[in-house]
Amino acid sequence: MATTKLGFIVQRPGYKSENPKLALTHAIASQSVEIYLNEGDLVTADIAFIGEGVLNCKKDQKAMETYDLSSTESHIKMALLLDLNVLVCREDLERYGMTENDIVIDAEEFGADMTVKVVPYAEITKMMEEMNHLLFF
Amino acid sequence: MGKLTIGCFASLVGSLNLDFAVKLSAAAMEKGHKVDLWVSGNGTMISIEEQRPFKDYSSLEKPLKELMDKGLNVTACEACAEARGYHDSNTLKGVKRFSMDWYLGSTFDADRVLHIGGE
Amino acid sequence: MKLVAFVSDYRMTVDTLDRLKPEKLGIILVQNGVYHATVKDKGNPSPLLDYSADYYVLKDDLETRGYTASDVVNSKVKVISFGDIVDLMFNDYDKSAWI
Repeated sequence: MATTKLGFIVQRPGYKSENPKLALTHAIASQSVEIYLNEGDLVTADIAFIGEGVLNCKKDQKAMETYDLSSTESHIKMALLLDLNVLVCREDLERYGMTENDIVIDAEEFGADMTVKVVPYAEITKMMEEMNHLLFF
Repeated sequence: MGKLTIGCFASLVGSLNLDFAVKLSAAAMEKGHKVDLWVSGNGTMISIEEQRPFKDYSSLEKPLKELMDKGLNVTACEACAEARGYHDSNTLKGVKRFSMDWYLGSTFDADRVLHIGGE
Repeated sequence: MKLVAFVSDYRMTVDTLDRLKPEKLGIILVQNGVYHATVKDKGNPSPLLDYSADYYVLKDDLETRGYTASDVVNSKVKVISFGDIVDLMFNDYDKSAWI
């Protein structure tokens, strides 16, 4: 039994590019990776939003209403529902004049227990150290 | 020898990101490493057959086929491909199509992962 | 963490590299990132060369853009091949980041 830990680091804002959303959909795919692994083996996904990437976490996104497109916000909520660890850099939120009140924090409406963790960049560095591989988006 | 998994999410003809991924794959295989190449997003365009080569655009069908003959494992994100109108029927022979969990599965026993992401 | 970062742009749109503090950092200049090794902006070399890092630039991408090894402005930047990149990834660093 072994575990490979992947760190998904989102550093760019969304919608102009699909990359932040692909980070989330690929991280969410960790929930079905077992079909490619031996019993007991795991691939886990932690997600961190840093730099301009924190702008992906703004709540009240209306992408469905405007472009008939699932929002990045809804993917973050899905990640929470699937118990993925989602970190948001506190310093970068502050840099863009945002607080925890401005971003998606939970997915209570879906019954998710997990919440977004707003943490200092040092915590994200620690997470990156703990990962086997890093994927920057 | 080790295993290298490359994820290439960019990009369309005219960008050289896929060329970089293919050249790096070739170099790694030459050194005896096993290479998995996952293409997602716009990177899935490499999976389409019969792209007409012009000297003003890079053309990767030939080197890709040669590398696949030598064991390069190429898989395209099925949803990303379908979203672009790339279907099984026009996929380059030898390129596989799976959902995103294939990429994560490939990283499980990879010694190194190079993820070519953002644009 | 021993991290090798690939820089593929001349104008950086992210500042991730500023904050990465690995135990060992390598920076490989590829694609338009090679201009950091060859161009001075108003006489000043690229600030990207100021990190405490080992620097490399991909020969193919230099030559594609009309440069040779002799155009590299800073002697700490080593000109390398794709094969060298593979060796660096497998032998000198444990993680990679395409910035």
